[in-house]
Amino acid sequence: MFFHMVLERNMQLHPRSFGLNLRENLVSKLIKDVEGSCSGRHGFVVAITGIESVGKGLVPDGTSSSALVTFPVKYQCLLFRPFRGEILEAFVTLVNRMGFFAEAGPVQIFVSKLLIPDSMEFQAGDMPNYTTSDGSVKIQKECEVRLKIIGTRVDATEIFCVGTINDDFLAVINDPALAA
Amino acid sequence: MAHHHSESDDEDYSYDDDSESEQEEEEEEEPRSSRKKRGRSNPDHSVGSARGKKRKPSGSIFIEDDVIVDDDEVEDEDDVEDGFIEHGEADLGDEDVVGRRHRPFHEPAAFRSRVGAEEYLDFMQEKYSNPRAEYDDEDDYEDGEPTHVDQQALLPSVRDPKLWMVKCAIGREREVAVCLMQKAVDRGSDFKIRSVIALDHLQNFIYIEADMEAHVKEAIKGMRNIFANHKILLVPIREMADVLSVKSKTVELARDTWVRMKLGIYKGDLAQVVDVDDVRRRVTVKLIPRIDLQLLADKQEGSVIVKKKSFVPPPRFMNVDEARELHIRVERRRDRMTGDYFENIGGLLFKDGFLYKKVSTKSISTQNVTPTFDELERFKKSNENGEIDFVDMSTLFANRKKGHFMKGDEVIVVKGDLKNMKGWVEKVDEENVLIRSEMKGLNNPLAVNERELCKYFEPGNHVKVVSGTHKEATGMVVKVDQHVLFILTDTTKQHIRVFADHVVKSAEVTNGVTKMGEYELHDLVLLSNLSFGVIIKLDSEAIQVLKGIPGRTELAIVKHGEIKYKIDKRINVKDRNKNVITVKDVVRVTEGPSKGKQGPVMHIYKGVLFLHDRHNVEHAGFVCVKCSSCVLSGGSYSGADRIVDSFSRLGNSKSPAPVPPSPRRFQRADSGYNSGAGGRHWSGRGGGRGGHDLLVGAYVKVRLGPFKGYRGRIVEVKEKTVRLEHEAKIVTGKLNLPLHTHLVAAC
Repeated sequence: MFFHMVLERNMQLHPRSFGLNLRENLVSKLIKDVEGSCSGRHGFVVAITGIESVGKGLVPDGTSSSALVTFPVKYQCLLFRPFRGEILEAFVTLVNRMGFFAEAGPVQIFVSKLLIPDSMEFQAGDMPNYTTSDGSVKIQKECEVRLKIIGTRVDATEIFCVGTINDDFLAVINDPALAA
Repeated sequence: MAHHHSESDDEDYSYDDDSESEQEEEEEEEPRSSRKKRGRSNPDHSVGSARGKKRKPSGSIFIEDDVIVDDDEVEDEDDVEDGFIEHGEADLGDEDVVGRRHRPFHEPAAFRSRVGAEEYLDFMQEKYSNPRAEYDDEDDYEDGEPTHVDQQALLPSVRDPKLWMVKCAIGREREVAVCLMQKAVDRGSDFKIRSVIALDHLQNFIYIEADMEAHVKEAIKGMRNIFANHKILLVPIREMADVLSVKSKTVELARDTWVRMKLGIYKGDLAQVVDVDDVRRRVTVKLIPRIDLQLLADKQEGSVIVKKKSFVPPPRFMNVDEARELHIRVERRRDRMTGDYFENIGGLLFKDGFLYKKVSTKSISTQNVTPTFDELERFKKSNENGEIDFVDMSTLFANRKKGHFMKGDEVIVVKGDLKNMKGWVEKVDEENVLIRSEMKGLNNPLAVNERELCKYFEPGNHVKVVSGTHKEATGMVVKVDQHVLFILTDTTKQHIRVFADHVVKSAEVTNGVTKMGEYELHDLVLLSNLSFGVIIKLDSEAIQVLKGIPGRTELAIVKHGEIKYKIDKRINVKDRNKNVITVKDVVRVTEGPSKGKQGPVMHIYKGVLFLHDRHNVEHAGFVCVKCSSCVLSGGSYSGADRIVDSFSRLGNSKSPAPVPPSPRRFQRADSGYNSGAGGRHWSGRGGGRGGHDLLVGAYVKVRLGPFKGYRGRIVEVKEKTVRLEHEAKIVTGKLNLPLHTHLVAAC
């Protein structure tokens, strides 16, 4: 699910970049640092939408003039965090015997073989896939699937999910191979 | 009410006279007694029992009163003692009651004749009217056990019936006992013997309790299984109590329990109990047959002489058709007891592919029988509809160690009225577990028997395995199947099956066993046959190594001893474009079977790179490639903070012996490198100055040399030297320092 939140961060800036472009430098540094990162609590930071406020810079005591100055920055950002029970669309990146991996943006979801309906069987080959007995439905690489997240594991900097397609209205939405 | 007897009889006795004789008796009785004592101090005991038995001629009937009297005595003593005073009254009543209860009808006939009908009735009345109720209500004994005094009173005397030891056929002791009982019921009052005891651990003999040997002889007359010609032995009085001493508790064998065979060709095999025959101490078990059909066929034809089987045939379900093909005679028989049809082949009974065998209780082990999944599966397979279900599983757990429930565990009731109710464990007792449930209207906490509970997990829970084959693995529950959980391990992304018992909820994410001896997971090691590889999985038994053969993935499973040593060299190689690659650089594979894979380099050895591709599920994500078939791509893997990276490189330089990578890199400054490096070392600090940008702006402290201790920021980096802006001087001083060995990361 996406969230739009105000977060705060202490940015360290070298005095070299002070001057006219102080704010710009700060913002670009912030963007570079934060965008694309992931925290366990908030999820993935998709983008920074705006800067709310920049506090006064603090020169740390006791060190030389070439120390880094700390600016507390409040910024608005778009966050993405998967939740248990959430239904997402994802596209398949890897299919193997144990199940398949799918990605929904920055988060990777694994759907285990046990959570794939029994009607679908694994077929190895050049393009390994899961397919029904009559061949009508196929899950292979680059497929879009709708899946439900049954569990998330949050590391310090990474979120990993396990999903299922063993429910109503889940599984393949769109198969580019077939459509072509 | 209980007292009046004692009072009336008190007049009959004078304690002083009896004390001497009593003391003698007391000495005899003391060693015999093995009963547990109440929490009274010893002096009391000895005093009490000193008054023990009054062996007056008429005393036998009034033996109970002895007890009461004793207690009186003891009571007096107690009044003097501390701590027991309060319990005085209550105890008296209890002991009294106990005395009465425990005193069997040793000589009802004699008693009755002596006392007369009315008095006898009165006696009976008192005996059974109140006390029992009281007895049951109160928490009588202090610790629930009869006193030493009581026990002494109950020991057999010369007046009591004696125990006679009688020889019988081996294995038939119980049968004989039951037969004698039946005979007693049939004969009624004629039968003079009191009881028969058949002990498990004593073969060939039974005990008969009777007054006279003649009674015994008469009773066993006509019994087939008793050797009447054998001498009947009398058990001495002192040893009578030992006959019935209690052993360790026996495991009850119930139907559907899992057991293991101890003897024969099925030794160690899992079996399920189908029928229990207590009398003959035999059980019928269900096994997966290990039958060599060929041998059977030959045997039936009579062509082959059956010699001792040197090999044990593998377990396999019996296929009757196969047997028929080989011309083995298959009879269809109907078992009298159960009414089922069995196939009889060569004397062995088969049904549904299983072998049903009658074995003695001794040849099966019931303790610590933990069936593995495979074994259970095989049993299940034959019963297609999964007759092996919950109930069987729970008998499995019945034998399990108790106390695997912890406070806070989520559990679900699996048996009984409250089936399928969820709750949380609050407290764990000996037998019962107190759980708290969300349901309204129930007493909270609720006491449930441990056997009826099972740990409950939902898919999506993060758990850790604490016992069993997959110990120390962590992962996410993917599927729950009654007692069995399917877990997706964190590290290897594999499915493992575990019992719910073995698992606890945990937020911990571990790699499972990461260290085995000196080798850690993901170490580069040299194997005994001079090949090398990366450890991708550590087990207690074996270590899985991805071999360093680029182009094809080869796994080797080795034992601990086969690993020579860990390879820990810092080597550099060049990639396709002649860029230098070191550990932690991100490369991309451009050709070969692993084409397209990308990831940081974990190990380099002999021109072979091991990179770790996160998206790769197999082999823990490791891919083995030749350095010439990949290109350097993107920045270093060490993360956003480049400073740390450079410091780590500088840090490397601290070690005296190996030549650190960074300066080497600088030394090899050729044009190709520069362009490559420039691209690689792009950093936000404003690049474009060749590969040294990383160091510029870094805050360092000089470690060696004349400028030791100086701190400063790096202004410029040249081939081998670095210019440092020193902080102390007001005027910006520049120090030209030789690189690497002299710099140290400063924070």
